[in-house]
Amino acid sequence: MELDYSPEKIVFNRELSDLDELVLKFVDILHRLDISYVIISGYIAILFGRSRGTEDVDLFVEKIGMDKMSEWWFELEKAGFECLNTDNPTDALNEYLENNTAIRFAVKGTWEPNFEVKFPTSKSSHYSMENKLVVFLNNRKIVTSQIEMQIAYKLLLRGDKDLEDALHLYGLFKDKLDHSLLRLHIQELGVPPERVNVLWEIHPSD
Amino acid sequence: MLTDSDREEIHQEIARNRRDRLSFVREYTEWLKKTPNAVWSKQHAKFLGKK
Repeated sequence: MELDYSPEKIVFNRELSDLDELVLKFVDILHRLDISYVIISGYIAILFGRSRGTEDVDLFVEKIGMDKMSEWWFELEKAGFECLNTDNPTDALNEYLENNTAIRFAVKGTWEPNFEVKFPTSKSSHYSMENKLVVFLNNRKIVTSQIEMQIAYKLLLRGDKDLEDALHLYGLFKDKLDHSLLRLHIQELGVPPERVNVLWEIHPSD
Repeated sequence: MLTDSDREEIHQEIARNRRDRLSFVREYTEWLKKTPNAVWSKQHAKFLGKK
């Protein structure tokens, strides 16, 4: 895998899947409207080569007001997306996002894959928004958060799929990561020792 | 009717499969790292779906 890596930016080129194209289409709207976001979780492992499908793409979007929400809604509809939870932007903002409930958007007439959008509420979600990693994939921008945080968070989640995603990201970037930062996130998130131990057992030389 | 020993065998098999999968993830990332983007991403895009 050829990529240029720095803690704030990764640049690489590769063949795109339909999922990549869809993600790029979705985030292009956010870029155009200058809405800050980070994509987190499963898609980021897939972006860097993990071979698995996903039914959703998770992202945090900065807290926005009604005007911006309406503008975003209009642009999403124009681009062929629809909200799976509600048919109007007022409910989307007031009943869902402001109540810390995710809203989902998918291509009109489909359910999967969908974009699961939340406002950041927890300390770790704010941290992700403040510590962005910008990925340039074939010269197109996708914003995510620091890899160290994503690995720690994936270790915290309970599923086998999440553990495998953590191992994938760790295996791929272990020579580039800030290991003391990774350990700090693991400690702060309270990742159970048995989950962390799997990482060291699979990568014993680290 | 499964005995305790049968159940223990199943649990061991599940743990073994899980460990095998995690080891495979490590081997796959090692392969990814030494494989040109044009090669791995062609397979990857095909697996994930490409029009």
